[in-house]
Amino acid sequence: MIDLLALPFLACLVLTGIHAYLGLHVLARGVIFVDLALAQVAALGLTVALLAGHPPASGAAYGYALAFAIAGGLLFAVTRVRRAPIPQEAIIGIVYAVSAALTVLVVDRAPQGAERIKQLLVGSILTVTGGDVATLAALYAAVGVAHWLARGPLLAISLGGDQTGGRRVLVWDALFYASFALVVTSSVQLAGVLLVFAYLVVPAAIAVLLVRGVGARLALGWLVGAVVSAAGLAASYAWDLPTGATVVAAFGVALASAAAALGARASVIAVRAHGLAALRPAAMALAGLVSLMGLALALFPALDHLWLDALERVAPEVQEAFLTPSERAVRRETLESLARGEAQLRETRALQQDVQWGTRTLDAERQERLRQFLAGRGELTAGDRLVLRTLRSKARERQRYWIGVPLALAGAGGALVLARRRR
Amino acid sequence: MRRAGAGVLALASLAVLPAGAGVRAAAPAPALEVVATSTDLKALVEAVGGDRVRVDSLAAPLHDPHAIEVKPAQLARLKTAALLVRVGLDHEPWLRRALLTLGASAPGGARDLDLSRSVALLQTETPRLRADVAAHVHGFGNPHYWLDPENARPMTAAIAAALAGLAPAERAHFEARRDRFLERLDAGLARWHGALARHRGARLVTMHDAWTYFAARFGLLIAATVEPTPGVPPSPAALGGLVERMRATHVRVLVAEPYADPSLVRSVAARSGARAVTLVPSVGGAPEAGDYLALFDVNVARLAAALDAAP
Repeated sequence: MIDLLALPFLACLVLTGIHAYLGLHVLARGVIFVDLALAQVAALGLTVALLAGHPPASGAAYGYALAFAIAGGLLFAVTRVRRAPIPQEAIIGIVYAVSAALTVLVVDRAPQGAERIKQLLVGSILTVTGGDVATLAALYAAVGVAHWLARGPLLAISLGGDQTGGRRVLVWDALFYASFALVVTSSVQLAGVLLVFAYLVVPAAIAVLLVRGVGARLALGWLVGAVVSAAGLAASYAWDLPTGATVVAAFGVALASAAAALGARASVIAVRAHGLAALRPAAMALAGLVSLMGLALALFPALDHLWLDALERVAPEVQEAFLTPSERAVRRETLESLARGEAQLRETRALQQDVQWGTRTLDAERQERLRQFLAGRGELTAGDRLVLRTLRSKARERQRYWIGVPLALAGAGGALVLARRRR
Repeated sequence: MRRAGAGVLALASLAVLPAGAGVRAAAPAPALEVVATSTDLKALVEAVGGDRVRVDSLAAPLHDPHAIEVKPAQLARLKTAALLVRVGLDHEPWLRRALLTLGASAPGGARDLDLSRSVALLQTETPRLRADVAAHVHGFGNPHYWLDPENARPMTAAIAAALAGLAPAERAHFEARRDRFLERLDAGLARWHGALARHRGARLVTMHDAWTYFAARFGLLIAATVEPTPGVPPSPAALGGLVERMRATHVRVLVAEPYADPSLVRSVAARSGARAVTLVPSVGGAPEAGDYLALFDVNVARLAAALDAAP
């Protein structure tokens, strides 16, 4: 695990270093989607390079992408100072949509273009090389030093909301957006659009939610980025998931947990100040939700009721209580046969894999018998699953009256009582 | 440019036409308009139809065949086409919508030739049976059947029959052209089997499961696929296990398509010690793979070179 994930983790740390910092700027300026827009413009540059006959991983292709992205960045710098009567987010959105459409038009003429664009979106953080990481680290260190030297005016413009315009701001904005374009183009080539966006926005957003001051926010952003990267990579390994998408999801979970923690703290403070009455709106919403879930079960028992499925997985008694003794016996038998069958399938598949890899030899006839056995056993397993589904829908027909109707009534009653007390 | 190349090819194939084959009226009938969904089918229709057909391919050679956006001019050609030739199975999910759009004027019945019905398919396990092994895109069997050159026999037979049904007067012409093509195919098969004979039983790992038919024909074994679902990169555990098994069982060659993710190919090759070789899945995917037979000349030469060079 370590040898596979060491380089990706280093790459994640490099990304965290620069993006958590730029994310603070982007959040303060309120230009969240500038990253996606510039990445899309860079993708357009990459497809134009493909059309011009340059291989996708070449320096020329990178040059095209960078030139396009910097041009886009300069466009954003100019449109901010001019203070057009439309908000800058509109211009960013338009640049995104138009460059995405132009990419489609160009891709249509360039062989393999569509695949490249897909790969650009997904990225390949898992397969970075040491050289990639070292180049990126050196480049971002340079960008970081430039930003450190120019920190005074850059931070003043981003955080202070210096809206006066003028040449001086234009120059600093041009510098900011050009360096931003450089970072986005380089990061996206390595990690894909989604991952880069997550690194840019989530650590900065969590830091802004929790602490004050640029230095503290930057430190917390770096910490969050490093911890979430490690968690995402570990989850991707443990649960056998595509790496880039898992890290993005981990960032989502991190932000949701931070928000939930803040919400919990706010409600504790509210309860201290106003007593339990402060929780009434939340309780009403919860009662309403319970009532809706019960109503849905009572009216449409054949639909998917995910909460009930989850409950039955934890406590099978919830379903078994609604089955006749003979149905219960069938269910138990089927579960046993399913477990046996799945174990057998796993074993046989492993054997088949060994044969495929040549670590075990089997003559042609026995290989064919193995294949037939797998097909047959697979059918039986599918049949077992069907039996379980049928039993579940039988139970649902009874649960609709015994669980659905009471839940609907209790939830609605609770919500009504809470609403009346309010007056 | 590609169109000009196809014209040259058509001229070249005219030049090798046997003198006795052209039993036809003095004034040639207008060419049959044929729309093929891929460049491979286009090449086969041209091999049978020669100058009596004008073939257009809806997909470019290296585009993902599952995600094609049909253009207005193509829709117009589809509407007036005398014949639609397609791979079938679930290889062209966009085609159904395009045909629905055309309504009654869409090619149907004798004008719609699904070549998957003329060949023996591999990996036809139902989706339900395969569902819990791995997600995959081929629900009705592996659709890359044109990559077995032997399948060109039934495919060209079906094409010749369909063309003859549309232009009965030309039946002899189509049959004669098909016979010529099969002679060249036989010569090619002897050449390709010869080039790969030393490597029978060699194990390959492929990026996508497009090479099942090709490997089966030439006695090669595909041990595993790096990206079971196209576009979804493998998880670290899957990649680690794969590389380990490749090293342990001395798999020497990794087969990639031109559009495979280069960083993934590089990484698997570097970690496993296998040699990566790019094979072309469709006619026109490489400049030298200009027709159906050249496609196999290119792929066999590249694969044989990689297997020879690998330790």
